[in-house]
Amino acid sequence: MIRLPSLPVLVLLGLIAVAFAVVPFVAGPYEVKFATRVLATAIFVLGLDLLIGVTGLVSFGHAAWFGLGAYAVWFVTPPDYEAGNLLVALGAAVALSGAVAAVVGLFAVRTRAFYFIMVTLAASQMIFALFHDTRIAGGSDGASIDVKPILEIGGATILDFSARNTLLWFSLAALVVLYGAVLTLARSRFGRVLQGIKANETRMNALGFDGARYKWASFVIAAMVAGFGGALFASIDGFVPPEILGWRESGLAIMMVVLGGVGSLWGAIVGALVYALAEEMLKSADLVGATVSEHWPIAMGLFLIAAVLGAPKGLAGWLPLRPAKPWAPAAETGAAVETRRASPPPRLEVEGLRRTFGGLTAVDGVTVAFEPGRIHAVIGPNGAGKTTFTNLLTGALPVSGGTIRLDGVDITALSAHAKARRGIGRSFQRTNVLPAFTVAENCAVAAQARGLAGASPAEEARAVTEALTSTGLVDRADRPATSLSHGEQRQLEIAMLIASGAELLILDEPLAGTGPEETARVTALLRDLARDHTILLIEHDMDAVFACADTVSVLVGGRLLAHGTPDDIRRDAAVREAYLGRFAGLEDAA
Amino acid sequence: MDLVLVQIFNGIQYGFLIFLAASGLTLVFGILGVINLAHGSFYMLGAYLALTLTEVTGDVFLACLLGVPLAVVFGWLIERAFVRHLYKRDHLQQVLLTFALILIFNEVQRILWGSYPHGVPAPSYLSGSIRLTDQLAYPVYRLALTAICAALAGAMFFVIQKTRVGRLIRAGESNREMTELLGFDSSRLYALVFATGTALAALAGMLAAPVESVYPGIGERILIISFVVVVIGGIGSIKGAFLGALAIGIADALGKVFLPSLAGVVVYALMASVLVVRPGGLFGRVIR
Repeated sequence: MIRLPSLPVLVLLGLIAVAFAVVPFVAGPYEVKFATRVLATAIFVLGLDLLIGVTGLVSFGHAAWFGLGAYAVWFVTPPDYEAGNLLVALGAAVALSGAVAAVVGLFAVRTRAFYFIMVTLAASQMIFALFHDTRIAGGSDGASIDVKPILEIGGATILDFSARNTLLWFSLAALVVLYGAVLTLARSRFGRVLQGIKANETRMNALGFDGARYKWASFVIAAMVAGFGGALFASIDGFVPPEILGWRESGLAIMMVVLGGVGSLWGAIVGALVYALAEEMLKSADLVGATVSEHWPIAMGLFLIAAVLGAPKGLAGWLPLRPAKPWAPAAETGAAVETRRASPPPRLEVEGLRRTFGGLTAVDGVTVAFEPGRIHAVIGPNGAGKTTFTNLLTGALPVSGGTIRLDGVDITALSAHAKARRGIGRSFQRTNVLPAFTVAENCAVAAQARGLAGASPAEEARAVTEALTSTGLVDRADRPATSLSHGEQRQLEIAMLIASGAELLILDEPLAGTGPEETARVTALLRDLARDHTILLIEHDMDAVFACADTVSVLVGGRLLAHGTPDDIRRDAAVREAYLGRFAGLEDAA
Repeated sequence: MDLVLVQIFNGIQYGFLIFLAASGLTLVFGILGVINLAHGSFYMLGAYLALTLTEVTGDVFLACLLGVPLAVVFGWLIERAFVRHLYKRDHLQQVLLTFALILIFNEVQRILWGSYPHGVPAPSYLSGSIRLTDQLAYPVYRLALTAICAALAGAMFFVIQKTRVGRLIRAGESNREMTELLGFDSSRLYALVFATGTALAALAGMLAAPVESVYPGIGERILIISFVVVVIGGIGSIKGAFLGALAIGIADALGKVFLPSLAGVVVYALMASVLVVRPGGLFGRVIR
């Protein structure tokens, strides 16, 4: 989770801010412009870290939004040596970047990882080609803003970007405000979902968050921040070259984020500053000698290589983080009961459910009903189609045929997150938690997804308390999820389902790899949960299944071979032959 | 109509050249898992090697014969010195380090060869044009270039499909960890793949030198277009890179005829449309 900056970091940032503020008093116009450029770039890079460090989306086209913001100032500046309105210019920059990013984002968020990198690159190169090859804004010569924007109220000039110092101080104030805003956003409940998507998007979708929409929103917000920086940048020299839209600028921005330290937000600012200072120093013959300054890109390249290999976590990795606030149980623990519902848990029916992969039929016309408030086991040998069946029920895979009804409502075609919103929660065969989050944070994100409307913070706190208490994870609440044992992670998954308020729990091998004591505890927990949940247990462990399940369904070769009480199944000749043969033999011997 | 025909020829020839560069990139990404932004620099290296070696030997093909081994050695050195540190790191650090390499390579190029564009002559025996129709002539060197690239593409398919090294490459591409677990010396395989990728890009640059002029920044255009091709074809797929490169080559050439002011947009629009239909590219595997 994104933490607040620690005291040393705040002191460092304060000193940097003061240094920028006093530049006009101690240095000349060149330095003022340089400082302003660093500030505009820092805003640009800050937006990118929201995307890379918080949401986990590496965009290789971020410069497009910076450049569009800069061009927006040109678009709204009237011809004939008149000044444009400053508020209009900034507003237009944010709006133009945001609007174009909103369209590009629709396509981009459908892709992942490397493909996302390439789609954003392609989008920015298209925008670059548009501005470079056509005459919409000066073409390859760039666009000149003859008079920079001003803000006048009642005839009095409040702000004038033609004044170098005004622009510097305004940019500094803007960076401080935007840093605070982005940090607050990243630490908000919205930002927590973004971080969850970075950590494990599949898990977030299974909890009921529409990952694509959240990614789209952060993409647009990051673009708007960059657009604001671009508007300031355009006001420095009053000139916008098309190259600022291009892939080199995007690459530089990524570089500054990595240099500063991904996901710290303040690191992005420091990265922009250090990069600019390093370049300026290496270009200066007085400082480094004529040979180095003439060939400064080599020195810069070596510096960056040393930074990657020597400080993989970036500069921010050198300074401590402020420790997270420890988790505390919700004040009114008695109210935990409230989170239990009065309404009965749902009934799940599937009819003729089918799924094919090419020529292979993994699930072949399964028809079965799971009654509310019971534990239903689904068993079958390896390759019987159990996991595919689970994925169809939860929407992780689309069905090839058949229907799925929840309390009589057809939910066959709903996506994973939409099914989760209707109260279907699942655990995964391979444990699937949010690794960078603590145990309590995992549950809190799950609780946030509660129901169609989401939960209030108070409900959320109660749900987390209940989930941790009933799974016995209270004393591990502040441990990172990755530090838990395998069995504990499985319990954490169940805790997340409890916190999420899901009413139908689909558990894919929750007992795999757990010791006898843990198995006993999990079965007891399941029995308790069955009072107000419908539970589907996809399992391998026969003893546990027969001890706790109310019904057992046997899948073999994708077909439902039998469905009934454990006793029915034990007596079923077909099951004995097809599947339980060896177990039955053991039983006879005993 | 003749113009369109010529552009289709040009597009195919350009497509074959991009294929050489992009196939190296897709191998490096598919097998080593490294995003190599410096790949375009190897194309640039090839172009400048062709410039110098053609001056020395008098023939661009002799220059290629000398240049390819040099490029292999260069690629191997870069892999040992820098790239091998990136195998276990995330994409961001790969982008950062290889971006730093671009800065260095570009500056070294400026020191060695300067900032002015240069021309490389086609061999005299290939310098004429062939008359295709009454009004249409086409340079012989371009046809020879297309034929050479096609032969190389065929050889590459043969190596990958039919030889033991090719089988190892296919294994590494479909499951990197498993290949390592089976006990193959992956560090040697990786060095080999990277050096091969470098040589392919450099060879593309050498063969292209008589067609394009040789200038600073020549590698960056080919880098971006190679990435587009890799994505269209699906990461790691040579077959996909081949089809993607031809599609991009022809789309780019025709775009210049029919939509001259938007020619720069055409290839990216093509890529975006492919990804909308197939988010993993034409022959893409599971997205990681």
